[in-house]
Amino acid sequence: MAEALLFETGVMFAAVAVVSLVAARFHLSPIPFYILAGIVASEFVAGRLGVGYVSLTSFVEVGAELGIVLLLLFLGLEFNLDRLLADRGRIGTVGLLDLGVNFTLGLGLGYVLFGDAVAAVVVAGIVYISSSAIITKTLLDTGWIANPESGPILGTLVFEDLAIAVYLAIVGAAVLEGGPIGAVAQSVGVAFGFLLALLVFVALGTQALEALLDTTSTEYFLLRALGVIVLIAGAALSLGVSEAVAAFFVGMAFSSTSVAHDLEDVLSPLRDTFAAVFFFWIGLRTDPTVLPAVFDLILLAVVVTLPAKILSGFFSGRQYGLTDRRSLRVGLAMVTRGEFSLIIAATALAGAGGALSGTTAETLYAFTVGYVLVMSILGTTLMQASPVLERSLLART
Amino acid sequence: MTIYESDIPGVGRRFELELTDRKRVIVVYHHDGRCELFRRDGPDDDSKRILDLTSEQASRLGTILEGAYFETVAVDELSVPLGDAIIEWIDVPTDSSLVGTSVGDADIRAQTGVSIVAIQRGTETIPSPGPETTLQAGDILVGIGTREEQAALETLVGE
Repeated sequence: MAEALLFETGVMFAAVAVVSLVAARFHLSPIPFYILAGIVASEFVAGRLGVGYVSLTSFVEVGAELGIVLLLLFLGLEFNLDRLLADRGRIGTVGLLDLGVNFTLGLGLGYVLFGDAVAAVVVAGIVYISSSAIITKTLLDTGWIANPESGPILGTLVFEDLAIAVYLAIVGAAVLEGGPIGAVAQSVGVAFGFLLALLVFVALGTQALEALLDTTSTEYFLLRALGVIVLIAGAALSLGVSEAVAAFFVGMAFSSTSVAHDLEDVLSPLRDTFAAVFFFWIGLRTDPTVLPAVFDLILLAVVVTLPAKILSGFFSGRQYGLTDRRSLRVGLAMVTRGEFSLIIAATALAGAGGALSGTTAETLYAFTVGYVLVMSILGTTLMQASPVLERSLLART
Repeated sequence: MTIYESDIPGVGRRFELELTDRKRVIVVYHHDGRCELFRRDGPDDDSKRILDLTSEQASRLGTILEGAYFETVAVDELSVPLGDAIIEWIDVPTDSSLVGTSVGDADIRAQTGVSIVAIQRGTETIPSPGPETTLQAGDILVGIGTREEQAALETLVGE
């Protein structure tokens, strides 16, 4: 059995390595390609074609779980509360504008599509949250990072990161447990109790963490760090609290220690590895024959949320006093959705059968995979095509 | 000259330096030490990437810009005025006839007029070398003397 497993794992890593080449060739984010690789290698495609496929083993699942934890850990590590507070006026304004427009729209859209309040909240989160990873990467590739438009883009992303942590804490608890409103309230209570304990840990744990990681050996350093991070995230999940949020808080706790940068250096290869496994796993669980059934949902969501994000981004740019051209770029940049939307959908699917019915969760999941594939490719392409769009869109105004 | 500084989450820091009213130079400093340099000629222009440097290249360039980079200055061109006499650093080449002879036998003072005050050997400095000290290839002789005397020493060492 082990030999088959190792081979399948090899196929998985080879597949993501090959598609990353393709992505680099076309200057696109590799994330949608990892997902596509997963879809192709799954039992639904490769399996039906009668060739060997990569099965959904617990190794892949745990790898994906580690990917989620590490992605959110880095978000916490990089999260700069001081910056948010120092620029709270502008970041607050553009963040609330972004949240107000896109989350509200998502709520309405979700209710129309699924006719269910919980599903509406899940859809709202999925269409609201832009992809920090892909957007930051594309900002660097296009050189926009050196332009004034990077201000509102990064500001909005910081706000979204915090919003998504709070959102996942609530939705994670509500969806994972489900059941009557009393039980939901109780699990939300447990979640917040756990997170409160983590917050105290963030505030007081700096010295303890520094003492723990005080070693000159990279090996011991890495193992101790993982011992803390994965243990806390795992404990959270077994208590019904979102492991992603727990990882975010652990990241925040580490961010104020002197070892924050060493930790990033040591963990980033692991994050890159398991994040790829996460996206591959997303694809692996997606039956592409389900996608045509949700095609109209995806299309409607794209048609509604694409202009909304561009408009909210545009007015965010105006808030920063940018010209129309630069403001349009803020809008185009924010279009990309990615890892967080998928994490929300995975969380929803994990809790299927509770607050969300199994079929709704499955449909939601397929919908999100399709939506993220479209929006991540569309977003990066829009940013690259922006010179053309600027000329054609702004010439008329 | 204003410098604007900001964080790029997950990437590093960004510095924006005002050159004139319109012109800006932007430095994106990655956590791994990679350093990208952009210029923007006016508020409505796009930033153009001028340089994409590794950590080491960036710090080399930095020291040059700072005026603290001296590696290319040849040691023998450094001199310190000392009345008529000057201190000079003179390399002993591998093929020098002095290699293997002791300071006493070489009799540098009598031959050239330069007093050897120290010998720099690798990272080690031999102050006031005694007559028994043997000269080695690669030594740097630190000598005091007039320009003419120094020139005479340089000729002697080079033979």
